[in-house]
Amino acid sequence: MDLTRRTLLKTQAAAAAAAAANVTLPAGAQNILTGEDLHLQWSKAPCRFCGTGCGVMVGVKDGKVVATHGDMQAEVNRGLNCVKGYFLSKIMYGNDRLTQPLMRMKNGQFAKDGDFQPVSWDQAFDEMARQFKRVLKEKGPEAVGMFGSGQWTIWEGYAASKLMRAGFRTNNLDPNARHCMASAAVTFIRTFGMDEPMGCYDDFENADAFVLWGSNMAEMHPILWTRVTDRRLSHPHVRIATLSTYEHRTTDLSDMALIFKPNSDLAIMNYIANYIIQIGAVNREFVEKHCNFRLANTDIGYGLRPENVLEQRAQHANDAQVSSPSSFEDYAKLMSQYTVEKASELSGIPKERLETLARLYADPKVKVMSLWTMGFNQHVRGVWANHMVYNLHLLTGKIAEPGNSPFSLTGQPSACGTAREVGTFSHRLPADMVVNNPEHRKHAEEIWKLPHGVLPEKIGYHAVQQDRMLKDGKLNAYWIMCNNNLQTAPNTNNETYPGYRNPANFVVVSDAYPTVTAMAADLILPAAMWVEKEGAYGNAERRTHFWHQLVNAPGDARSDLWQLMEFSKRFTTDEVWPAAILDANQGHKGKTLFEVLFGNGEVNKFPLTGIDPAYENREATAFGFYVQKGLFEEYASFGRGHGHDLAPFDTYHEVRGLRWPVVNGQETRWRYREGYDPYVEKGAGLQFYGNPDKKANIMGAPYEPPAESPDAEYDLWLVTGRVLEHWHSGSMTLRVPELYKAFPGAVLFMHPDDAARRHLRRGQEVRVVSRRGEIRSRVETRGRNRVPQGLVFVPFFDASQLINKVTLDATDPISKQTDFKKCAVKVFAASVADAGDVQ
Amino acid sequence: MTAECHISSLVVHSRPERVASIIEGLGLIDGAEVHGGADTGKLIVTLETATESQVIERINAIQLLDGVLAATLVFHHFEPVQERE
Repeated sequence: MDLTRRTLLKTQAAAAAAAAANVTLPAGAQNILTGEDLHLQWSKAPCRFCGTGCGVMVGVKDGKVVATHGDMQAEVNRGLNCVKGYFLSKIMYGNDRLTQPLMRMKNGQFAKDGDFQPVSWDQAFDEMARQFKRVLKEKGPEAVGMFGSGQWTIWEGYAASKLMRAGFRTNNLDPNARHCMASAAVTFIRTFGMDEPMGCYDDFENADAFVLWGSNMAEMHPILWTRVTDRRLSHPHVRIATLSTYEHRTTDLSDMALIFKPNSDLAIMNYIANYIIQIGAVNREFVEKHCNFRLANTDIGYGLRPENVLEQRAQHANDAQVSSPSSFEDYAKLMSQYTVEKASELSGIPKERLETLARLYADPKVKVMSLWTMGFNQHVRGVWANHMVYNLHLLTGKIAEPGNSPFSLTGQPSACGTAREVGTFSHRLPADMVVNNPEHRKHAEEIWKLPHGVLPEKIGYHAVQQDRMLKDGKLNAYWIMCNNNLQTAPNTNNETYPGYRNPANFVVVSDAYPTVTAMAADLILPAAMWVEKEGAYGNAERRTHFWHQLVNAPGDARSDLWQLMEFSKRFTTDEVWPAAILDANQGHKGKTLFEVLFGNGEVNKFPLTGIDPAYENREATAFGFYVQKGLFEEYASFGRGHGHDLAPFDTYHEVRGLRWPVVNGQETRWRYREGYDPYVEKGAGLQFYGNPDKKANIMGAPYEPPAESPDAEYDLWLVTGRVLEHWHSGSMTLRVPELYKAFPGAVLFMHPDDAARRHLRRGQEVRVVSRRGEIRSRVETRGRNRVPQGLVFVPFFDASQLINKVTLDATDPISKQTDFKKCAVKVFAASVADAGDVQ
Repeated sequence: MTAECHISSLVVHSRPERVASIIEGLGLIDGAEVHGGADTGKLIVTLETATESQVIERINAIQLLDGVLAATLVFHHFEPVQERE
C-alpha cells in the first residue's frame, strides 16, 4: 500500500468518524473517496450481541462475511460500533465451529456413557424423537422441556413456543433471559400492566441527569454510553450519577460515583422516596390522577429449594408475589423509616452524597433518566428494586415524556423481542398474555387454529427449577438452544451438571460451538448463526429489526428454526394429544405436528416468490413457503389493535427497525402520553392503559437482607459479571483472536489491602471457595475494576474458571431470576508454596 | 503471513477541559493521528497499525488517557502491504 493510498484511506476513515460524531472537519479532510470498489455486497443487520440493537453494515465477498461497520442510517448507533460489534464478521469463523450432529455412541448405538461421534441429521432426529416419545409415554408432557434464548430470532422463539406448548403440551419452556431480566419484565407488568419501557433511546438527548443503578454502561453498553457522554459534553448542566458496589470505568467517568454495600440499594431508593415526601416534592396531582398505592408481602424468602432453612423460616415464601391495596399515608409511613442516617449506615455512603442524589429526583426542573441492568435484576429483591425506582419516577411524575424515563437496559439482542414479546417464559404467551388465563389460552388456540383445550394451563418450570428437576429426575427429555447454561447457571456443579448427566435424562444442545453445555449433552446439533439465516430481533427500546440471510452456514449446520420445524414432522397428534381432544376434533387426527402447527393455512400462506431474489433463504427453500413471513404475520396478529402493533413484515426489511406500537405506519417513541401514543384517549393527557383503571402501581416494600452475607469464615462478597471484550459466556467472543488476546482469562479483582492481608501477590494463583464449590483464578489488584475492601469481582466468560460453581442459586422469589451479585466466599493461595513466597 | 496495513478511525469523547492534554497524549500513541473535533470535545482520530490486535491495544490505551469519556470505533479497513507496492 503506497503512501498516497494510506493518506486517502485515512481521510476516508476520518470523514466516516466525523459524520458519525456530527463533527465538522477542516475542508481538506472531508472528501470521501468513492473510486475504490472492493467488490463487497453490503447489507444491513442488527448486531448479534447485546440488547442495545446497533445497526451494522455487513460486507460479503465470495459467500463469506469479510467486513462490518456501524450503520450510519441506524438511529441507535449512527455509524458507531463498539469493539465487539467491530469484530462481528469473525464470530462465525472460529476453528471449532460445529458442522455436523454429534451423538454419544457405543457399538453404533446411542449410549449415555458413550463418546461423541458424527451422525446424520436423520440419525440424530430418529434417536431424539425416540427419546422424547419414550418420556412422553412414560411420564407425560411435564417431563419434557426446553431452555431457549433471548438470542433466538423472533420466529425461532415463536416456533419453539408453538412446538412446546401446543405440540408437546408443556409450558416447561423458559429462556436464558430468565437469568437476565425477568425481574424487569415482571415488574413492568406489576406496575403498568404491560411489559417494556415507556420511553426510548431518544431520552438520552433530553435528560438533565442520568442515574445508573447497578450498570457499568461504559463497558457493557458502550454505544449508549457515547450518547450519554455526548449529552453531558454538549450540555454542561447535565450530571451523571453512578451507583455500584465497586468502581469501574463508568464510575470513573461519572460526576458522582456512589459505592454502596451489596443489597443496600433498596434502602437508598426508599430513602429518596422518603426525602421526596418529606420536602413536599410529591407531584400530588399526578399521583392522584395516575397512581394506586399497594404494599408488597414481606419476608418472602430467596427462591431456594423449599427444604432450605431460609425458605422454611420465611413467612411469605409461597405467596411472595401478593400485594395489597394501600394508601399514600401508609406508603409514606413505611418510607419514613428510611432516614438519611439509616440509608447511610446500611449503604456506607456519606449523608451529603445521598442528599445530592435525592435532590436530582426531587427537583421538578431536572429531567431524570434512570438506567439499570443486572445489578438490579440479578437481585434477590430484584422485583422490589425495579418497583422502587418506578416509585421515584411516579411520585414526581417524571415518566413517559422526553428525558423523564425509568429505563431498563437489556443484555441480549432479543430479550425483549423474543423472550418477552413472543412470550417464551414458562408462564407467558405472545403479547403479554399468560398461560394460566383461560381467555388468553382460548385466544391463542383460535389464532393458532387448534382444538380447544390443547394448550396446558399449568405454569412450567422456570430456568433454575428446570435444573433442579433434571437433577431430581422429573424432567427427562430436554432441549437447550442458543445458550450456554452449564456455564451461566448458578451453583452449576451441584444443581445443573448432575441433571445433564443423570442417566434418566436425554439432553440435546443446539449450538454453533462446542460450549461446556454442548459437551455435557447427549446429542449436539450444529446451529446456523446470525446472518446465516433470515432473522428478527427486538431491542431494549421496543425496536423490531430484521435482516436477510447473507451467507450459508458451514457443513450441515442448520438454523434453530429449521431444527424445530423439521423435528415437529416426527410426531403425530395421536402420539402427543389426549384422545378426548382428537375425538372431538377429527380433522386433527393423524396429522403431524408440522402440519397442525406450521401447515395451518397461516404460517404457510406466503409463497417463495415473495422472497427478495437478492438473498438466499434456506428455511423457506426447505419447507416450500416463506416461513419467516408466515410465522411473523401470525405472531403479529396477537398484538395488533392491542397496543403491541407491529408493522407489516416487508416494511422491516426496508427500515432500520421500528418501535412498537406501530400504528398507521408510525412508530411510538413515548408510550402512555397523549401526543406521542395513539392509544391514549384524546384529552386524557396520560394513561397507563395496560391496567384496567389506567393507573400505575406505586408498590411499597422494605429493605430485606440478602440470602447470604460474608461471615467469619467466608469473609468476602463475591460479585460476578461481564467485561467489555467478552459477551456473556464467551462462546462467540473467545473465538475472535483479537478479543481473546485483549482479555484471555478471567481474573479475581481484589482490593490491594485485602490481598496484602492474605499475603497474596498480584498475579498469584488463588482458590475462590464458597459453601457450594471452588475455582482457581489469579489475583488482580489493579486494572479497570477497583473493588472496595471486603468484595471481590470475577467475570463469568471463562470456561476454564467456572465461577458459577461458586455462586448461590438464590433467586428473586417473584421473578425467579438468580442473584449472581451476592454470595460469600473466601480466597486463599492455591498452594502453601505460593503462600510462602510473599515478599 | 503477509504483512498488513490496518486503517481505522475513532471518535474520542473528551472532557472539554482536558482536550489539550488528551491531544498531547494521543500524539504519544504509535500510529494515532488527530484530524479535528477539538472544539466539540469529540476528537476524530485515525489509527494506522500492522495488526488488528494493535487496534484493540491502542483503543485501550486511549480509553485510559485522563479525561477520555469514551473511545468508539467507526471505520476499519485493512489490506496486504504488498498489494500496492
